[in-house]
Amino acid sequence: MSRRGAVPLFALVAFGAFGAPNAAAEEVSTQPAPKPRVLSPAAAVGIWAAAQLIPSPELVIGKRHVGGGLRWQLTPVLYSFGIAERPLRTFLISPIARHSGSIELHVSPEWACCAANEQSGWLVRAGLRLYLPLLEHGEKLSWSVGGSYYHAAGGNSRNGAAADLGLFTFNGAFGLNLTVSPWLSRREVITTFAIRLF
Amino acid sequence: MCYRALLALVLGLTLPGCGFAWRALKRNLSAPPERTVAHQVVDPKRPEARLAALWVGHATVLLQLDDRFVLTDPVFSHTLSQASPRLVEPGLDPERLPPLAAVVISHMHFDHLSFGSLDRVEQRTPIVLVPPGVRASMPRYAFEIRELETWASYEHDGLRVTAVPVQHIGGRYALDSAFETRAFTGYVFEYHGLSVYFGGDTAYIPSAFQATRARFPNLALALLPICPDAPRDFMQYTHESPNQALDAFTLLGAQRMIPIHFDTYINSDDAFGACPRELRERMQARGLSDEQVQILAIGEQRVLIAK
Repeated sequence: MSRRGAVPLFALVAFGAFGAPNAAAEEVSTQPAPKPRVLSPAAAVGIWAAAQLIPSPELVIGKRHVGGGLRWQLTPVLYSFGIAERPLRTFLISPIARHSGSIELHVSPEWACCAANEQSGWLVRAGLRLYLPLLEHGEKLSWSVGGSYYHAAGGNSRNGAAADLGLFTFNGAFGLNLTVSPWLSRREVITTFAIRLF
Repeated sequence: MCYRALLALVLGLTLPGCGFAWRALKRNLSAPPERTVAHQVVDPKRPEARLAALWVGHATVLLQLDDRFVLTDPVFSHTLSQASPRLVEPGLDPERLPPLAAVVISHMHFDHLSFGSLDRVEQRTPIVLVPPGVRASMPRYAFEIRELETWASYEHDGLRVTAVPVQHIGGRYALDSAFETRAFTGYVFEYHGLSVYFGGDTAYIPSAFQATRARFPNLALALLPICPDAPRDFMQYTHESPNQALDAFTLLGAQRMIPIHFDTYINSDDAFGACPRELRERMQARGLSDEQVQILAIGEQRVLIAK
């Protein structure tokens, strides 16, 4: 093949190797997808704070009556021994950090009400709770055991100790918590349907 | 005034999502029983292959690059977050997985990161690669969990895995997406002169695909998500349509493409089979052959390059 003939042949091969895909590339859309709308950290904290106002309903069982109640909960500090990184968390705590295995310091204001011939009243408790995973590192199912110290306000104001046992599912969003306070008059056993967002 | 603006903002942000979530919930509640895979692969090792891929379902693919195996986004669970049922059983029993050189996770959503599924591969891989920020949202395992920044690589024994840019959304429990703004990625695997792209879950971002092609000009295979597609005005921010996946394939300059991320779980308005049907129509319109875009059935393994 002459040198003059080789140049167009090379150009043809080069076009086949490199030119064709580029030509195809020109046919594709150059319009990128819009950026996803993501909550700002401040908005997320705001939503989390608002979500903490949603109470968990309670069934309050005393020796001679049954009533209702509401419980709120906050976790000022949690140490997760089940998580791979950053074991110490405060307040806004990822469900996996809690339910993969952790110990938390919790504070819970509670309001007991709706029992016949009984006054409504507030109670605040603080305590330690241990979470242990049962299924899928606790996301599917986990349980807890804990103890707390309470202060009941009102006419029958008194302090005392309580023990609790819990079972949680759906990434810890829902659970059942049984709190036993043998010395807490009118609220010896409290069953809480726990609702929690983070 | 302030209250109205706030209300408008909240409604604007949530209504499209709520409508979609409600429809997805209804479809999940009426989901058919999980289909079985008739002829599951018993031994996924293919001695005759230089490059082989087995689609386990959704974004889970077992890749064989010569004598190395890599598993992408392993999810073998029968429901997602105890809510969304699986439509087709996993295409491979995880007990039949060969020893893996690496497992990669593209992001933290339940259809890509399953803690229970990672339990099942725990003794088979030395390392799981994740995007930035994900390690703090993962439980402890026996394997190493290593975060890779975009363009950073993990290298071991000839295998190199590089994190490549995609556009998606981070977080796992909705609220944490605000903090995990970089917790999503794609990957390129390189071994013995072979290179394979895994898109994980991505929106259509031409610049990201072009940048990946500039660094990896000889991709033998691109694993690209083609679903969820509908509703498009909601999905466009985070997911490619089948047509856009073909555009991405062209921009990546890969020799062949395998579509993933469809017909495994209900996470959209798409009917079962709609995304691959749309893909086939678009392939036909573009003159792309079944050799260039290979649509696998769940559980199907294909030798793409023989020895």
